[in-house]
Parts: sequence; C-alpha cells; structure tokens
Amino acid sequence: MSTEQVSHQGEMEQFSYDDKVVKKYILASLFWGFAALLAGVTIAFQLSSWKFNFGLEWLTFGRLRPLHTNAAIFAFVGNAIFAGVFYSLQRLAKARLFNSFMANFQFWLWQLIIAGGGLSLLLGYSHGKEYAELEWPFDIAIAIAWVLFGVNILGTLWKRREKHIYVAIWFYISTFVTVAVLHIVNSIEIPVSLMKSYPVYAGVQDALVQWWYGHNAVAFFLTTPFLGLMYYFVPKAANRPVYSYRLSIIHFWSLIFLYIWAGPHHLLYSTLPEWAQTVGMVFSVALWAPSWGGMINGLLTLRGAWDKVRRDPVLKFLATAVTFYGMATFEGPLMSIKSVNHLAHFTDWVVGHVHSGTIGWNYMMVAGIFYFMIPRIWNTTLYSVKLANLQFWTATIGLLMYMMSMWTAGITQGLMWRALDDGGRLVYPQFIETVVKIIPMYWVRAFGGVLILIGFMFMLYNIFKTIQQAKKEEEPVYQAPALSSAKPEAHAGTHRKLEGMPMVFTILALLAILVGSLIELVPTLTSHKYLAQKTFMKPYSPLELVGRDVYIKEGCYVCHSQLVRPSPDEYIRYGTVSLAEEHVYDRPFQWGSRRIGPDLARVGGKYNHMWHYKHMIDPRAVTPGSIMPVYDWLETKKYDHKTLRKKMKVMASLGVPYSEDEIDNAIENAKAQAMGIANELSESGVSKDIADKEMVALIAYLQKLGADVKQAIKDGKVIDKAGGAE
Amino acid sequence: MSTENKSENIILDDEKALVLDHDYDGIQELDHPLPSWWIATFVGTVVFGVLYGMYYLWAGGLTLEEEYAQDMLKINKAKAELASKVDVFDQKAYSTWTTKVGLAKGAEVFEENCMTCHEENGKGDIGPNLTDEYWLLSDGTAESVYSIVNKGNEDNGMPAWGEVISKDEMYAATAYVMSIQGFEHKSGAKEPQGKKIPRK
Ligand code: HEC
Ligand code: HEC
Repeated sequence: MSTEQVSHQGEMEQFSYDDKVVKKYILASLFWGFAALLAGVTIAFQLSSWKFNFGLEWLTFGRLRPLHTNAAIFAFVGNAIFAGVFYSLQRLAKARLFNSFMANFQFWLWQLIIAGGGLSLLLGYSHGKEYAELEWPFDIAIAIAWVLFGVNILGTLWKRREKHIYVAIWFYISTFVTVAVLHIVNSIEIPVSLMKSYPVYAGVQDALVQWWYGHNAVAFFLTTPFLGLMYYFVPKAANRPVYSYRLSIIHFWSLIFLYIWAGPHHLLYSTLPEWAQTVGMVFSVALWAPSWGGMINGLLTLRGAWDKVRRDPVLKFLATAVTFYGMATFEGPLMSIKSVNHLAHFTDWVVGHVHSGTIGWNYMMVAGIFYFMIPRIWNTTLYSVKLANLQFWTATIGLLMYMMSMWTAGITQGLMWRALDDGGRLVYPQFIETVVKIIPMYWVRAFGGVLILIGFMFMLYNIFKTIQQAKKEEEPVYQAPALSSAKPEAHAGTHRKLEGMPMVFTILALLAILVGSLIELVPTLTSHKYLAQKTFMKPYSPLELVGRDVYIKEGCYVCHSQLVRPSPDEYIRYGTVSLAEEHVYDRPFQWGSRRIGPDLARVGGKYNHMWHYKHMIDPRAVTPGSIMPVYDWLETKKYDHKTLRKKMKVMASLGVPYSEDEIDNAIENAKAQAMGIANELSESGVSKDIADKEMVALIAYLQKLGADVKQAIKDGKVIDKAGGAE
Repeated sequence: MSTENKSENIILDDEKALVLDHDYDGIQELDHPLPSWWIATFVGTVVFGVLYGMYYLWAGGLTLEEEYAQDMLKINKAKAELASKVDVFDQKAYSTWTTKVGLAKGAEVFEENCMTCHEENGKGDIGPNLTDEYWLLSDGTAESVYSIVNKGNEDNGMPAWGEVISKDEMYAATAYVMSIQGFEHKSGAKEPQGKKIPRK
C-alpha cells in the first residue's frame, strides 16, 4: 500500500507471494481439524458411556485420546500456524517465501507424520508421554519438518524488503526456536525397535523434562504463534493501528522469558524437588500480566471498531478468541497456586481449562484468520456471513457448555476425593462414587462437543462454497524498494535497532528461553540422587517390563495417575505418599495428569490376580458403574518376547542394573513368572491358556506397583511419614 | 515517512499524536503508554513471587512434607478420638438394632459392604461362612463380631470397617450377622473354617 509513496527512496523491485502453499496448509488444517474434533466428541461420549468404543481396541479411550490431542494440536492447529505464518510473513517482509519447494516438502512431510502418527497411535505405538506420544521415527521427521519451517522463516527475513521486523514476526521467531529446543530435548530416546524406544530420562527427571516440554508446547505452539497471528490479522481486519508498541515489546520479552519456567506447575505436590515446584508456581503467577498484555493489545486495537466486530465474522471470531485467551491466562496462574492446584489437579477442571484455550483461543483464531485469508487468496468473497455467524454461536455455546460442565465436574470430584469426616474417614471411600456423580456433566460436555463439531462443519461447508466460487486470477505482483536502499532511522531506540537485525533477534530470543530452561533442568538432571544407586527399588522383572509396555501401549496413563500426593486424603485412599526414589526405573514416568480412575501407585498387592483378570475382562462385573473400557483382547494377544532382551539391554545401557545373566535368561524368567500367575488364575477357574498373553504381563506389572515401597517400609528401610511425627 | 493517514486505517482523534512512523503491510502502531493497572499487576505478581519464594525457600515456610505431617497429626488425633468411642461395645445401644427395623438396616449395610466377600446370607466366598458354628476370629458373641467388624484383620483380607462406616452401621451389620446364625443355605456354602464354637 505504501509502496508507491516510498518509491522515490530507491530502486523498485517486483515480487509476488507464494499463496499456493498457504492454500494447501489451510485445506489440510480444515481436514485434520474435523478429524480431531470427531475424535474428541467420540472420547467425550466414551466417558459418558463406556460402550462408545464399540468394542474396538483401536478406539478405546487410552488410544483415542492421544490421537485427539495430537490431531488437534499438531494437525489442526499446526497446519493453521504454517498457513497463517507463511501468509503474513511474506507480506510483513515484502518478500516471497524463501523457498517454496521446502515449504511444500515440509507440507507433505507434515501430513505424512500426521497420517502415519495417527495410525500408529490407534495401533498402540506410543511413547507414553503426553503430547509427545509419537514414536522415535516420527520424532525425527517432526524435527526435520520444523527446521524446514524455521529455515523458511529466517530465509524469508533474509530476503526481506522491510527493514524492521514487526511484532508478529518476533513471536514467529520465538515459536520456531523454542519448539525446536523443546521437541529435541524431550525426544532424546534410545530405540529398541522400529516402533519402540525408551527415553534417556527416568522418573522425576523424565517428569520434569516432559512437563517443561508439555507446558511450553502450550506456550510456544498454542500461544506465541497465535499472538503473532493476532498482531497481524486483528489490525488488518479492523483497519486499526495496534494499541501500544511499547506494550508489545514489554509483553513479548516478559512472556517468553517467564513462560519457560512455569512447567513445574504440572508437578506440584509431586516428588520433584520442592524448590523447582515453588519456582514453577511463582513464575506462573507472574505470567498473568504478560499474557494480559497480549490481550489488551488485541482488544484495545479494536477501539472505535466495535461496530465492525458486530458485523464482520472475521473480527467476531478474533475478538472472541482474544477474550477467551484472557480468560484462560487468568485461570492458568490461578490454578498454579499450590493450594488451588491441589484441588484442581487430576480433575476435569484442567480439561476444561485446556479447552477454553484450544477451542476458545486457537479454534476461534483459526476460524477468524481463515475467513480473512481465504476470500483474499482465492480472490472471491465469503459465501455466507450468516453461516459464519451461526458457526460462531454454535461454537460459543458449545464451548460454554464444555467449560461449565468441566468446572462443575472438576470441583465436585476434587472436593469429594478430599472430603473427610470428623473421625478422619473418607466420606466417599469408594472411588467409583466420585465418578458416577459427575457422569451427568460428561453428557453435557459431550453435547457441547457435538455443537462445536457442528459449527465446524458449517465452516467446512462455507469455505467449500467460497472456494467453489473463486475466480481464477494471475498471481498479483507487488513492488517495493530493495532493503539496501533503506535509510537508517534517526533516533531509533535500542529495540528499534534490534528489529532491524532478525538474526541477532533470534539469538536473543533463544537466550531468553534458555536461561529458565537451564536453571530449572540442569540441577535435577545432573543430580545423582535420582539415579539408580543403592535404592530399595528392584528393577522391573522381564515380565513386568513387558507388562509396563502394555500399560503404555493401551494408554492407561490417560485415565490413571501413579502419584500419591502428600495429603491425608490421598494417604488414606491410596497409601504411602510417593517417593522420588520409587521412579528410578520408570522410563517413561507414568504419573499421569487426570484421575478418571483411581491412582495406581499402590495397587500392587491390593487385589489378587483374579480380581485384575475379572476387572480387565469386564470392569463392571467387579465395580458396578465403572467407565473403564473392556480389555478382553489382552487375554488373546501374545505378549512380545522377541524384543525383550533388546529392551533389557537398552535399559541396562541407561543404568538399570540388569546383569548379563538376567538379560540372557530374560525370556525364560518371564515365562516362569507368567506361569505362576496363570496357574493361580486357572486355580480360580480361568480355563483359557493365558500364560503367554499380554493379560498376564500386565497383571505382573500392576502387582509390582508400590510393592517395593511396601516391602521397604516393612523392612524399616523407609519410614512412612503418615504417623504425623517428623 | 509521515504519520499522515496513508492507509485506510481508522485513527481516533485522541490517538493522532501517538501514531508511530511504522508501517508493515499497512499496519500502523500507536505508542500508548502501558496501562498503569497493568504495570501494577505485573509488579504485584513479581513482588508476590519473590516474597513467596523467599519465604518457602529460605525463611522457614513449611515444606510440603512438614505440612503433610501436621495435617496427619490432626487426622490421627481425630481418628484416635473416634476409635476410643467406636471401640466400646455398648450392649444396650446394640440391642436397639436387633429389632425388625434394625435388622432391615443391617441387611442393607451387609448388602452394600459385606456381600462382595461373604456372599448372600453370609454363605462365604472370599471371606468365611458367617452362619456356621466355626469361627476364625470371633467367639460367636455379638461383642466379638462387632470388634472384628470394627478392627478387621487386614492382613487376611477383612477390612477394618470402623474406618469406613459409622458405629450405628456396624451395630446393624453385627445384629444382622447374629440373625443369620444357623441359616440353611440351599447350595454353595463355604466349607467350615476355624474352631468350632457351639451356639448357645
Ligand atoms: C476411560 C478411563 C480408563 C482407562 C483407559 C483405564 N481405566 Fe482403569 N479404571 C477406570 C475407572 C473409572 C476405575 C474405577 C472403577 C473400577 O474399579 O473399574 C478404574 C479402576 C482400575 C483399577 C482398580 C484400581 C483400584 O484401586 O481399585 C485398575 C487396577 C485399573 N483400573 C487398571 C487399568 C489398566 C491396567 C488400564 C489400561 C489397560 C486401565 N485401567 C485403563 C478408568 C480407566
Ligand atoms: C474384602 C473382603 C471382605 C469384606 C468386604 C468383608 N469381609 Fe469379613 N472377612 C473377610 C475375610 C477374608 C475374613 C477372614 C479373615 C481371617 O481369616 O483372618 C473375614 C472375617 C469376618 C468375620 C469373622 C469370621 C470368623 O470366622 O471369625 C466377620 C464376623 C466378618 N468378616 C464380618 C464382615 C462384615 C459384617 C462385613 C461388612 C461390614 C465384612 N465382613 C466385609 C473378608 C471380607
């Protein structure tokens, strides 16, 4: 627009934008978005009624939930980020994309990862680490695709014709560098086979790295790229100047610097060193203002344009998204306060919180920017404003149903878990009582989800019709003076100068996130306290190790925690509070984040083998009202013993004290232990031959949980602090 | 470049002086000062964080473990107080539960809590048969049944119900167990376990 006015400054160059690849990313995002929401609605119904997995192992909650989260974050939102970033970056840099081939290669690689990854999750190939479930070949592919993305960003900036990089680009840069660091560090793992690996970190260390990653995936995949997009699309759509440049600077740097520290708020009351928990909490609280800085800058940019917000669906979606962003970033710090967290953690409150972010902020943003970009790059107008409005209202009402029901469910269940009478007894000793109580809320949530899905289908139809009426046109050509002709600004402040140096900017952004990362991670990662030395823990027997992998494969961790927090109710309900030491052999750690079912850290020895067998075959036969899926295929599937020795070798290389003998005899050892369990079961009347089946391995693992701790207490090696005395 | 409105952006009157000389694909920026309430929030949370951190890291704030120990102290006291009341078997209070109404309640308590192990009418499964003259723990009196229900024998799988249900419910369950002595099971009663103590 301003290009002609500055023409006197230097030689004009002609260029065009690569919007073809943007189109591809948009369509992919819509496609996967639908799949992600469909999976989400399905698992929502699975919690209202266990029958909704239709008896298919591939669709059980434990496998479908990771598919839902990965599809929503990396497929739906991921593709939308690539679309939005490539679209706005070219325009902000006044330069064509650095390398279109690379962008297209990245596109197909990304879709391959999604399709293959999705399939592998359904088949049960999983890392067992939330939001990082995909196995190692995918991890490598993701790293490659991401680096290509970054190279394209930096390359385009290299060729830019706009001296200064705009705040949107600051956010894109920080997104690129941080996600690269997070993904690579969290994915360091040793392969056992093509589709199985173990992380190099164990127990507490693994938990810390994982939630440093998990939390900052939210920060740098779901937040910073979208703040960048907000800074481009809100002023563009509203024709309004950004409210405050100064605020942009302050909130950008404070946000990325502080965000990276906040991971441990996912691990409050865990066995993570307490200083790290405290640091995690206070940085989370301090994040409130920087987050709201973004919201203020977004909403106040709309000053004087509110009538447009009412009329224009683009702005309606964007403004609502920013509002939900503000809400979620107020709720987040609140939930990080230790005492609030003790109530909220492991409940549906967290689930509601996440969706106010992903649906309220990300989905609404995506809808807004798609409705902005699509008519422009397909050279047409939006097919139906009415339909977009209808979508807006169904999505908003659906989301409100979602959030309200999850608040209610979460707080209700959290209070029931901890309720003690004046005799120090649990008011609801049966866990299932607390589940049955919130099932009505699960129905409300599921129908909220249906509304969101329907709204999404309106968008699909609307966009389909819009594209159908697109007019073919030549790629428009723009012109602007070359960068070399830009004159230095008089009186430019330090930050303004920095904006003219994207590479230096990138390095500073990297440093800003490395400070917190290093201070928080290094002490725990280097501390020998957490390594397997002189511990009372016995390494997993070969069969238990296989059983643990079945547990991971089935995604039991999405419903069960393995962490007893230090509070009386948890002690009374589950047993001895968790110790850091008991996780030394846990690769990956399996503390979980939601207790849809009870904690399992102390389940070993609580029931006999037969109980577990019956429970796996039909949970409702043992616990009426249970919503746990049926796992009857576990008694027909053989457990994998071919890779057993390799698994133990990998574990040994990571420091687990397996002797050569133990490794050599692993299979015989596993068979003997399995036979013991199978015999006991057959004495109790199980007629099938299940000695070589996954069921037996899983039972062996479940019986191991907490067993060593109980033994250590008996032997006086560990003092159970529950006596109340120090 | 000038601050004139070169694009179609809407600039409000009070903003004219704040428009910066920035232009990115038509996007302009204003230079509003940071809202004071925003600064206050930011400074407030940072100060809170520093004080909170110092208190818990260095200035004697209780660790999670210490807090937990204190809480357990309270809970254990409450438990002990309750136990001292619950442990006493009061014949008079008990006898109010041997009535028809009391026994109906007893059957209910039994069905909810005991049936999973002792089966219908106490014929026994995981737990022993409760209707025969053979006893593992009890001596066949209401008082001893009550005490077993209360304290359990957790090593062998009988839970301590005193920690779960109320005293009245335990009286009711005891009354119910006493009422089914000698009950004739049609089938599947568990074989006798323990010492024979003839009924009085
Ligand atoms: C949809 C969520 C869900 C999934 C997935 C799930 N469970 Fe459960 N689980 C529950 C619920 C709810 C309960 C409580 C009711 C009951 O006993 O069935 C439960 C109870 C249990 C219990 C009894 C715990 C106790 O202390 O009484 C065990 C053991 C268990 N689950 C193991 C598993 C294993 C192993 C897997 C994976 C193969 C698994 N669960 C997957 C929801 C789930
Ligand atoms: C989890 C299974 C389980 C439940 C539930 C259970 N019991 Fe028991 N009960 C047992 C076992 C096992 C024994 C035998 C303990 C032993 O061998 O020391 C037992 C023993 C007893 C005895 C003593 C029997 C004897 O031979 O001395 C009585 C009385 C009794 N239970 C009553 C009850 C009542 C009343 C309830 C319900 C409030 C109940 N039980 C619930 C498992 C259970």
